[in-house]
Amino acid sequence: MPAMHKYTATALTALRGQTNGGLVYLLPAIIVRLMYLLPLMFLWRVIADGETDVGMTLTQLLTYTYVNALLSEMLVVRTMASAWNYEGQLINLYARPFPIFGQLIAQTVGEWMPMLLVFSLPMLAIAPLFGISVIPVTGWFFPSLLLCISLGFALDFIFACITIRLRGMAWLGHSIRMAVVSLFSGTVIPFRILPFGLTRIFEVQPFGSLGGASLSLFVGASDPMRIIIVQAVWNIILWPVAIIWFAQSKERLVSYGG
Amino acid sequence: MLSLYALYAKMDLAWLLRDRTFAVLAILADVISNLSSVTGIFLLAWRFDGLGGMNRFEVLFMLAYTTVVTGIFQTFCSGGNTGHISRRIGRGQLEHMFIQPVSLPMQLATEGFIPFSGSSNLISGAVMMGIALHNLDITLPWWWILSLAGNLLITMAIILGSSYFAACFTFYAPVQAEEISSFVIDTFGHISTFPLSGMPRYLQLPLITFIPTGLLAWFPTLALFGKAPFGLSAWYPLLIAIVIWLFAVYFFRKGLNHYVKKGINRYHPMGHRR
Repeated sequence: MPAMHKYTATALTALRGQTNGGLVYLLPAIIVRLMYLLPLMFLWRVIADGETDVGMTLTQLLTYTYVNALLSEMLVVRTMASAWNYEGQLINLYARPFPIFGQLIAQTVGEWMPMLLVFSLPMLAIAPLFGISVIPVTGWFFPSLLLCISLGFALDFIFACITIRLRGMAWLGHSIRMAVVSLFSGTVIPFRILPFGLTRIFEVQPFGSLGGASLSLFVGASDPMRIIIVQAVWNIILWPVAIIWFAQSKERLVSYGG
Repeated sequence: MLSLYALYAKMDLAWLLRDRTFAVLAILADVISNLSSVTGIFLLAWRFDGLGGMNRFEVLFMLAYTTVVTGIFQTFCSGGNTGHISRRIGRGQLEHMFIQPVSLPMQLATEGFIPFSGSSNLISGAVMMGIALHNLDITLPWWWILSLAGNLLITMAIILGSSYFAACFTFYAPVQAEEISSFVIDTFGHISTFPLSGMPRYLQLPLITFIPTGLLAWFPTLALFGKAPFGLSAWYPLLIAIVIWLFAVYFFRKGLNHYVKKGINRYHPMGHRR
């Protein structure tokens, strides 16, 4: 498969880039992951101890949050596109003999690997100690995860286009994106437990087809068919938008950043 | 000092008027990102009629407190990365400050002042706080507002002290630790939005001592309503702030001595950072 070699080589380079200085450099990312995980796990216990009907069991809530911590890079995809545009490096990708999106996807997948191996795998092994089931309730979780990742890349490329348009104010796009996505993707708080009938509204907006959709299938809190259809529809709509807009934006790329 | 504040305010206003589209976008970005980060917890508090013994509007007050703190930080410490000081150190930009005819502490205290473009969260947080207080239906003494101001000042001291303390690593590992202040501020900020009431003591205690994120909103909120946790004094966060600053000042000076001897050369002649 020589055609695949350039992608695997890119992924391996990205993987090594994460660990060149030693695994100790992954420690801050692991600490952040744990610091984000622990308070939420305890918050679910506080809520489950209350008198109000939660709509999900404590096990479902804990599993939802735990699996989110294990797969967070995949559930809300972030490539280097926006950062590289800001730093003036994105344009360098055009000097390489394969597609820009392909390079960014290979790079991103390579960067996922160290944390998956060093953090997610051991956490997966010890999950039963916390009463967490690491087996998805439905097999539809897997196609849903693939659709989630695919949509995540499309949305990331769209955000990269916004960053290109914002020129030197790229951090604006970044700060809005980080906050909005954390709320609207449903990865932090499951849509199922939101008030004011927001559940349905949040489920059908594009970010709702990211991590929250797949996690709700993992814990068996949503109808698989409805989730998969909505995810597929957003993929069909947003991939052409990403491809066309990126093609239109490339003339605006700058090669001098920092 | 006041004349420097006036100068930075004037420069900020000039930036705001120079490119209104981007200025409006910047202000909106601040408001949207901060409101999004506190909305989730408030929706949960609303849905479950409070969280861990705090009622809905106490939780809203706590989230408003976080938003006001973010607003104060952005207003006074956002310009020139004076709050995210590891960026200035790691990028070798402290040298730029050495050639200014003003002392380093004075520059750090004033350079970050951006009252027009940075105060959006301060305003939105104050509005949220007003809504929470109105709905809490409590009568507060006149001096309560002074107590609130004192608590906000102490919270700011804890955040800045933690940022400066962590940034001391940057003197020795400029590339690797360039973003350590952001790491500390963002992580602390995120955890501070969780009401710790109802959570087990073995989680609460570390979060008001070694990793003092519980002192950034949860503790002051309860203290301001006369319910300081663990029977501690309402001014307990002041003690922690002093301890953090003692460490920060000691290690910052040590790091600065290292810096003036070794320097940090991150820039290529063409302007790119290594």
